[in-house]
Amino acid sequence: MESVNPVTVEREGGSSDPSGEALPGATHQIWILGLLGAICIALEIGVHLFLRTAIGYTHIFYVLLVLAGVWYYQKALVVAAALVAATFLTSGIVGDFTWATLLRAAMFLVVTWIVAKISEERDRAKAEILDQKAAIEEKHSALVGYLAEVALRMKNPIHLLRDNMAAIRLQLESEDPDLEAVKMDLSVQITHADQIMANFRELNQAIVEERDEIPLAYRDFLTR
Amino acid sequence: MSIDLTGIGQNRLFLVLSSAERLKQNNLSIIRTLTGQGYRVVVITSNHPSAVLKKLYAAEGIEMGRVSFIDTITKYAMGRVPEGQEDCRFISSPSNLTDLGIAITEVLNTLSGEKACLLFDSISTLLIYIPSTNISKFIHFITSKLRLVDTSGIFLAVEKGLDPLLLTQLTTYVDGTIDMDLSPQAEEGQKG
Repeated sequence: MESVNPVTVEREGGSSDPSGEALPGATHQIWILGLLGAICIALEIGVHLFLRTAIGYTHIFYVLLVLAGVWYYQKALVVAAALVAATFLTSGIVGDFTWATLLRAAMFLVVTWIVAKISEERDRAKAEILDQKAAIEEKHSALVGYLAEVALRMKNPIHLLRDNMAAIRLQLESEDPDLEAVKMDLSVQITHADQIMANFRELNQAIVEERDEIPLAYRDFLTR
Repeated sequence: MSIDLTGIGQNRLFLVLSSAERLKQNNLSIIRTLTGQGYRVVVITSNHPSAVLKKLYAAEGIEMGRVSFIDTITKYAMGRVPEGQEDCRFISSPSNLTDLGIAITEVLNTLSGEKACLLFDSISTLLIYIPSTNISKFIHFITSKLRLVDTSGIFLAVEKGLDPLLLTQLTTYVDGTIDMDLSPQAEEGQKG
């Protein structure tokens, strides 16, 4: 799971990892959490159970809890609960269960929940930004496609139509114009023009259906 | 203007690009060159009625016995087939690619064994009636058919009327591209 600050994403144009930090993959995350978990349990047994010291070593637990919260959100509470259980168990065995033990356990859960919540929110915002970016790119691509199709099916055909009309005029200006041929040619050019207008309506229709922000009156006008 | 269609002898397919204003004139030049080389030419027209082209060819002294037409526009534009056009095949609309494909297949079958060439006039006009993706598929179909029956083919298009993607696709379907406006040669010499 990537950890990327969405503000940085926006500022830097949304590269996949704009902060440049190398983030571990899912397998590495599991290995890191497993290793830290093992260290925490070893500290709990070694320091708390055997050395009978309940302070200091628990700070290491926060490394595990913060990383679990960043990578697995609310699921990290399971890790926190497991550490709370381990602390309670050793405190019970050692016999130093006090209000400080309860406070420490509560902090495990609270810190984990806060980190998980912030991470979840940050990644949701990042996903939202990426979705918006994809939507913008899609619209941009559609616009380029629209312009290309407009040129292909309207601008250039109109050019062709204009030249055909010019040729017809030349024919009419000749000494003995073939009026029947001119009539036929004109009918064809009118049909071309009708079709070009139909294409324009069709392309406008496609754009209008894509864009919700176009007012109803303009939608009607553009597709008339 | 004379067109270098030397590859036609090896049953080659060409995309011929022309400026819009010279499209009709270039059509005429191609027909003159092909009939002069003894080809039977099948003109698929979507830009001008076949009746108009016939008169134009006849006026230019083209041997009309060597030219036949598949007309996609007259019936659509005028709603009827003009009299005296029994030798032409008329398609109901330029967008009716199924009928056009059938007509081309039938014509090619009747010309099997003959020295024939198909002239498509023009891809640019067909773009008025058909989206570019369908045009590309259709031209691919036609070029494949022409290769199968060992017949030559020339596809006329307005040089600035094709977008880069479509132009690239069409270029891959044919054996060569001729830009009529870049290769001007004096036609008079050949005519004389």
